[in-house]
Amino acid sequence: MERSSGVLICAALFACTAAHAQDPSPQNAVPDLAALEQTVQKRHAEWESLAKDLSERMSRILPCDPRALAAVNEVSRASEARLAALADYFRAVSGKAFNETAAVRVLLNAEEKRAVEAGLERNDAGQEQTAAETQSDALAQSVKQRTSLEESKKLLDQIVAMIRQRAAAAEQHAGAADSAVPLLRDLVAKFEARDAALREEFAASEAERARWNGYYAARRTRAQLECTITQIGASQSKGKQ
Amino acid sequence: MKYSRFLLLVCFAAGLIGQTGRDAYRQAYDVWQQVQTNLERDAGTGGAAQVAQADKSGAAAASFEATRVAHLKSSAQDAEQRRRLLQNPATSFSPGLTPPAVEALAASELQTVTRTIARFATDKDRAIQQLRQSLERERVALAALSDTIQARQKTSEATAEATAALEQARIKTAAAFGDQASQLSQAITEMEIEGAAWADYYEKLAQAIQVANAPPPPVNITTNVPTAAPRNDSTPRVPLARYVGAWTYPTVNGMSHGAQPESVELEVHEQNGHADGSLLGRFKLSPGGTADPVVRFTFQGDFGATPTQKFTLVTSDGTPGILELIPGPAFNLLEVNFQTDPRTNKIRSGNFILVKK
Repeated sequence: MERSSGVLICAALFACTAAHAQDPSPQNAVPDLAALEQTVQKRHAEWESLAKDLSERMSRILPCDPRALAAVNEVSRASEARLAALADYFRAVSGKAFNETAAVRVLLNAEEKRAVEAGLERNDAGQEQTAAETQSDALAQSVKQRTSLEESKKLLDQIVAMIRQRAAAAEQHAGAADSAVPLLRDLVAKFEARDAALREEFAASEAERARWNGYYAARRTRAQLECTITQIGASQSKGKQ
Repeated sequence: MKYSRFLLLVCFAAGLIGQTGRDAYRQAYDVWQQVQTNLERDAGTGGAAQVAQADKSGAAAASFEATRVAHLKSSAQDAEQRRRLLQNPATSFSPGLTPPAVEALAASELQTVTRTIARFATDKDRAIQQLRQSLERERVALAALSDTIQARQKTSEATAEATAALEQARIKTAAAFGDQASQLSQAITEMEIEGAAWADYYEKLAQAIQVANAPPPPVNITTNVPTAAPRNDSTPRVPLARYVGAWTYPTVNGMSHGAQPESVELEVHEQNGHADGSLLGRFKLSPGGTADPVVRFTFQGDFGATPTQKFTLVTSDGTPGILELIPGPAFNLLEVNFQTDPRTNKIRSGNFILVKK
């Protein structure tokens, strides 16, 4: 009964996955990690090419030249585009990772139930072995009365040997099921640790995104101030003349 | 016809073994144990009753083995699904997306701003002081940015470590599940061999009891031939219990070819290798059909040495025909095939599987 419910859960999970895969609505679309990764790389290259020589370019432009502020704005926009693409990628990776963890949790749940059932099956095999041995003992007595039963006795002995082997295999199988449960528990813990690490990395990445925006805002302010100072200086020089 | 008959049998057997849970095979096991109680003990002295018990035990054992194998197959499928789920590497964050160049760029900007601030440190000009304050704010922003980049790099390293540890655990667990799947596959093979062995055993046991109970052959005082009586050549090699008894068409999941029965009751009797009996059936008619849905006949004949037994039948209105009885895939199943001479508004043939009452 427990096993049946496990199977049902698995079936439901697979059904959901299948339905999910077939649903074309945007909120249910499976994210294409490779495409998102390519976008991040592209945005990064765009930003890096603008950012790496910003100071050098700015040094060759007069403070009030519109190109000065435009250059800062351009690199700021490229930075935000890069970090937004990275956030999209992070969200997609995290979503996929969390789904994996949920699936492994379901697996652990099913395996715990299966281990209990494997124990019961081991007992079943032991009971079947005892019953067959009893049959064999009884037939041994009957063979003394009817020699025609000898061939049947040989067959029954072979079956008893098979059941002994099966009981040993059931023992081994129950042992394997028992040992699989702690393995899966450990695996679930590892999945959860990975998820926690991903969450922290995403939070750190978002913090970095805010800092980059803060820096470019400060850089823009400086560019505007440089222009203002230059204009004040020029008007003061004209006044003196 | 043979192909359709084969399909009929396979589908019917599949229906019987459709249950896969442990409860199903335990139930079948309990039935088997009840049916075979004291059979081996009584085999030394028993007769026809023990032969019938051996036949029933064989059927019960076959039912148990079939449900057990179905259960094992279901378990093997589950194990295979688990193995597949663990086969794929876990999702990980691509490390190349936050290259070290980002940190280098921020550090370079910080150095430039810091140098510029130092250059204006002693300038008393008000405008330059304003610019220096602005640069100072920029330096603070860059310093904070550098800190967050380093913090983010640490979290990236932590994620990489967590993912590596996860991968190691996943590979180890997947290997354990791979072993489970192969163990179950082997168990299925062994169980199938065991099932065949039980069927063989019960048949041999029934034969051995029959041989012991057979009337002694006429004594030939001139020769020293062995006194053990061989089984009569005309006696079917398949135990008589596979044919003799009361049989019925199941109310659910009945299997038929051609005219579909609503109900069938069959009685088969045996005496000294001679069979007789009767069949009463009611068949479903196609919409608008005007034929008589009831088929009733008696039959008789001698049991032959082949599994398929052929008898002559006579319907209630005196039409002759042929009846075939064929042992089904399990001990409690019997395939029936009848055909009569043509009759107006009467069903003249039928093919279906009956279950022993």
